[in-house]
Amino acid sequence: MSTHHPDEVLLMEYSAGTLSEPMALCMRMHLDRCSHCRGQLDMLNSLGAIMLDHSQQASRVSDDLFDNIVAQIDSEPAPREAETEKPAHDSPLERLLGSDLQELPWKRQLADVSVYDLSDRFPGDERVTLQKLCAGGRAPSHSHHGSEATLVLTGAFADANGVFSKGDFVILDQHHDHQPVALHGEDCITLSVMDAPVKLTGRLTRLLNPFIR
Amino acid sequence: MELIRSSQTAATKSRNVTTAPDSSRAERSKDHWSQLLERVASHQDRAAFHELFEHFGPQIKYYAISNGIAHQAEELVQEVMISIWRRASTYDWRKAAASTWIFTIARNQRIDMLRKIQRGSAEMAIETEDLWQIPGDDEKDPVPSLHRIIAERRIRDSFEHLPQEQLTVLKQVYLEHKSHQAVAEDLDIPLGTVKSRVRLALGKLKVILQDQDL
Repeated sequence: MSTHHPDEVLLMEYSAGTLSEPMALCMRMHLDRCSHCRGQLDMLNSLGAIMLDHSQQASRVSDDLFDNIVAQIDSEPAPREAETEKPAHDSPLERLLGSDLQELPWKRQLADVSVYDLSDRFPGDERVTLQKLCAGGRAPSHSHHGSEATLVLTGAFADANGVFSKGDFVILDQHHDHQPVALHGEDCITLSVMDAPVKLTGRLTRLLNPFIR
Repeated sequence: MELIRSSQTAATKSRNVTTAPDSSRAERSKDHWSQLLERVASHQDRAAFHELFEHFGPQIKYYAISNGIAHQAEELVQEVMISIWRRASTYDWRKAAASTWIFTIARNQRIDMLRKIQRGSAEMAIETEDLWQIPGDDEKDPVPSLHRIIAERRIRDSFEHLPQEQLTVLKQVYLEHKSHQAVAEDLDIPLGTVKSRVRLALGKLKVILQDQDL
């Protein structure tokens, strides 16, 4: 059971399906290990259904739509979708990578820190990376520009805010000055999604908004 | 401002027509939808399938239109209904109400459709359902069904009493596919205000439980 969770606002965006693909991946990986958030998500999904049910403007559909649907069902007999052969990897991230985490071509950046960049697997401007802090290793002190969602995949790291272990989800931002240290025994690998740089397309509100600089 | 007004009108309308007897009827009919799904699963019952279509088809079409994919609205209805037909056997009433299960399928099909448009012919690196699971697809949780049903009834009942401004935010997020940031820009209010309205609403609905430990 994780001890660090996404907040309810993020869970709601996940439930509504408005999160970006990399953020959704972080959430999915957390949910896989967190029954608490799965319970919350069930409730949020119910809320989505209730809202849809309450939208009184439900739109009339064409007269022949049902016949078209039935015709399509009949033209593709006994399809078995999404349950063909068993995938080679259990985790969605490993299915994406097509490889185990340890076998990736990691790029060493510092003595204790390696990085694998997978931004180009996703649309959008977010920077998506896997970061590996070797067992017992220490990263230099740093703070964050914008915000960075981090999900712990293996091992654990500690900083001034606590210990973050497998399945934990945390948002690091400019207020979060940290110097992570990996716990001994296992490399700490995290999936991290960094905000795209803010684009100046908004209205005046953006300038007044304390969350956007 | 136009947008605020129109969505408020819509929300007001939906609150006025939904009265308490309606919600208990919805409660009974929720079981009804599960039964229909089971009939589709066990013997490909087309009458049951048609009844599901009559009820959920227009909702899904509205969902597509409010999400800004009006041109593909009936295509979405079609995709969702076919998906319901094909995977009815994976539906488990203990894990989700039929309407919730169908909501997640509609959400995923909408995401899928947008991803395909965005990607063009390029292959998707990761399946939509690897990112957004449909309840029941993972076998991890022996979900306490009674707990879920009681919690759902509570959400349904307290939903009627949400203040307009909170309802507007929820509607924009769930039905108009807007991030909280986009809602803030739309309503010309700070992001912090949007988030606090969401938190207040979820608190009122008791979606977020302090002691929840399933």
